[in-house]
Amino acid sequence: MILRSLECRFLTIALCDAAEPWQLGSQDAATPMMQGIIDLHHDIFFFLILILVFVSRMLVRALWHFNEQTNPIPQRIVHGTTIEIIRTIFPSVILLFIAIPSFALLYSMDGVLVDPAITIKAIGHQWYRTYEYSDYNSSDEQSLTFDSYTIPEDDPELGQSRLLEVDNRVVVPAKTHLRMIVTPADVPHSWAVPSSGVKCDAVPGRSNLTSISVQREGVYYGQCSEIRGTNHAFTPIVVEAVTLKDYADWVSNQLILQTN
Amino acid sequence: MAAEGKVPTLAEEYSLPPKEVPVEKPAEEKSTTSTVAEVVPQKDTETSPADETAAPVEEKSETPEVKEPEAEEAIPSTEESDEAPEETEEKPEIVIETAPADFRFPTTNQTRHCFTRYVEYHRCVAAKGDDAPECEKFAKYYRSLCPSEWVERWNEQRENGTFPGPL
Repeated sequence: MILRSLECRFLTIALCDAAEPWQLGSQDAATPMMQGIIDLHHDIFFFLILILVFVSRMLVRALWHFNEQTNPIPQRIVHGTTIEIIRTIFPSVILLFIAIPSFALLYSMDGVLVDPAITIKAIGHQWYRTYEYSDYNSSDEQSLTFDSYTIPEDDPELGQSRLLEVDNRVVVPAKTHLRMIVTPADVPHSWAVPSSGVKCDAVPGRSNLTSISVQREGVYYGQCSEIRGTNHAFTPIVVEAVTLKDYADWVSNQLILQTN
Repeated sequence: MAAEGKVPTLAEEYSLPPKEVPVEKPAEEKSTTSTVAEVVPQKDTETSPADETAAPVEEKSETPEVKEPEAEEAIPSTEESDEAPEETEEKPEIVIETAPADFRFPTTNQTRHCFTRYVEYHRCVAAKGDDAPECEKFAKYYRSLCPSEWVERWNEQRENGTFPGPL
């Protein structure tokens, strides 16, 4: 029994794709983009710790030695060319080391010029989301469109996360280049899925693009990231990544449902 | 090229020369030809509407209508039809294919991309007639890129004659 519980605690292979209580740090990466973001965070944290230790040491040492009994005459250095050069050059080198991976990630993230396989439109409404899969349309009217409402607070089934679950999930194929077109129909919205490393603002009258390529099958949860009214907190995003074959099945079933 | 004798437009300068053999790389071929063929008339028709007819004609000659997607993505769609035998008779075939990335719109803001594709389709139809097969791809592109609400509004505006684009 104890062994079983320990096994659950430490040998779990389920990855974290939703926010959890008292969470520190990121959710597990589902896209190369998110992996890059996590790695950059760790890279920067190295410099952060370095600076923290160095500055604290100087501060504590100065406070420690500024003491009337042990050091009645304080140091009176007001000028020093060498130390001024060092303390100018050294931080800029650190900034350079942060900037290089940061820009590399930034520019690799808007890989807009990759040919996507699927376009999905996420349209924000007050207060739900509409998803359009229009690659399979043959006319302007007919379209694979569905609304995605949150499951109300008093209604979730066992195993569903509170205020994170929706009635219709966005189904996407894994390991495929996706083009997400994000736009609202009324007020500014945002489409954010932390595991995918995506946060795309939706601005009225404008359609924004973000491209993702989910690397593993799973269910990914996100929440709106643009404060926009009373039900801001009640419009989660659920992305369900499946195999390409299952995706094709799902699409054809949906098309049959919508035409009938 | 439609603008043979003139100074090449920015679009022409940056586009790849249209390939005559579309067999090896259908996706690449499709995106280049569509951009080359369509950017040119878009600029020219403001001055001379005669070019409008010329451009889609030569586009037909260099675009042999590549409809099949990349090879590995075609497999599941074909498999899928015989997987579920109880509803095969009405199951539509799913082709995993969408509007290609366009070098004219390399930014996050894709509003103009959608609008341009919509205008391109309707200009193509105006030049070639309602059921010209080569216009169909532009229709697919704008349907993929534009929110349906926008398309509805633009269709309405076209009927009323208040559409703001160069049709």
